[in-house]
This record gives sequence, C-alpha cells and structure tokens, in this order.
Amino acid sequence: MPGRPDQDADHQLRLLEDAWDNVLQHWHDDVAVHFAAHHWAPLQQESRFYLEALRKLMDVLSAAERETSW
Amino acid sequence: MDRIHADIDALHGLHRAMAHFRLAGRSMADRGNDQIAVTRASLEAEASRCRSRLEQGHADLGACRQRAAESAATGNGPVDCSEQAEAVSEAEERLERIRRWQYRIDQEASEFLGVASRFRALLEDDLPRTEDHLLAIIASLEGALRLQAPGT
Repeated sequence: MPGRPDQDADHQLRLLEDAWDNVLQHWHDDVAVHFAAHHWAPLQQESRFYLEALRKLMDVLSAAERETSW
Repeated sequence: MDRIHADIDALHGLHRAMAHFRLAGRSMADRGNDQIAVTRASLEAEASRCRSRLEQGHADLGACRQRAAESAATGNGPVDCSEQAEAVSEAEERLERIRRWQYRIDQEASEFLGVASRFRALLEDDLPRTEDHLLAIIASLEGALRLQAPGT
C-alpha cells in the first residue's frame, strides 16, 4: 500500500542522492565541478523545494480531513 | 593524457538513478494532485451532509417554535426548543469550519501547484537534458579509457 506521496518522493530523492554521493567519491575533475554546479545542484534544490511544498500540502490536507469528519 | 578521475560504473548508476527518479517523480506529482482532488471531494461531501442537517434543523426548529407559539396562545405549558436550536447552531458551526478549510485548501493548492509546475518542468525538460549530458560524459570517459588501455 503506498504511503504519503511526500514520504515516497523523499525516499526516491534519497536514492538519487546516494547515487550522486557514490559518484562523487571518485569523480574529481573539472567536468565533475561543472556538472555539480550546473546540473546536480539545481536538480537537487528544485526537488527538495518541491518535496517541502508537497509535505506542507499533505499536512494541510490531512488536518482538513481530520478536523472536518464527525 | 590525464588519468580518468571517475568511476564509470558509478556514473552509469547515477544515470539509472536519474531515469528512475524522473519516472517516480511523475507518479509522485500525480499523486499530490490527486490527493488535493480527493480532499476537496471529501470536504464537499461533508459540507453537503452539513447543509442537509442544517436544513432539517431549521425545519425542526421552526416546527418547535410553532408548537411553542400555539402552546402559549392556548395557555398550555412552555415548549422547550433549545435542543433544536442547539442542533442548528452545531450544523452552522460545522459548515463554517468546512468552509474555512475549503478556503485554506484553495490557497495552499494554488501555492503548491506553482511549485509543482516547476518540478514537472524539471522532470520533463531539464532532467532528460541532464541525463543526455551525463551519457555524453560517460561516452567520452569510456572513449578516453579505450585510448589509454593499450599503453597502460
């Protein structure tokens, strides 16, 4: 059974971050620096920003359902 | 020629992880939007039940007040309508609470959908380009490795 979408999405992003950390252990040239700054950082930041917005929304939706069911 | 400062297997792993994240991310974004629709529908259903209860409550209170007026006119004892009035008050309060949540959800959803739209663009446009760029880097590194191999 699927969990909350924000929790599942957080798990998926952590898998991606683990893959990136694994790459970083061995990748130390100028291409790596450029890739990190221009590709990885924007991807990670925008994804984290989205996940935070999704988490906040899910909290509000849960509260709404909880406080309006009698 | 410079040494290859990268683990090509790890880069392939990152490429696979990006492709997986792109597909999973679409599903997450869809589920977020679906959850907004589910909660809106749930609140509207609850509001509908409250409106019915309120309508019935007003009818019951009106009937009770009618009985009270008739009782007073004929000199009979007082008729207590406090229970009916309380039911109306409770239904109004619940309906108001639902309306406040509906308003808040509209605001939160509007804010969220802007962020979600940017995330969707990231998944549909930016991430595929990043994956292609990463594949080009991997191909370049593999080519350099092949050139290095005979002399190493």
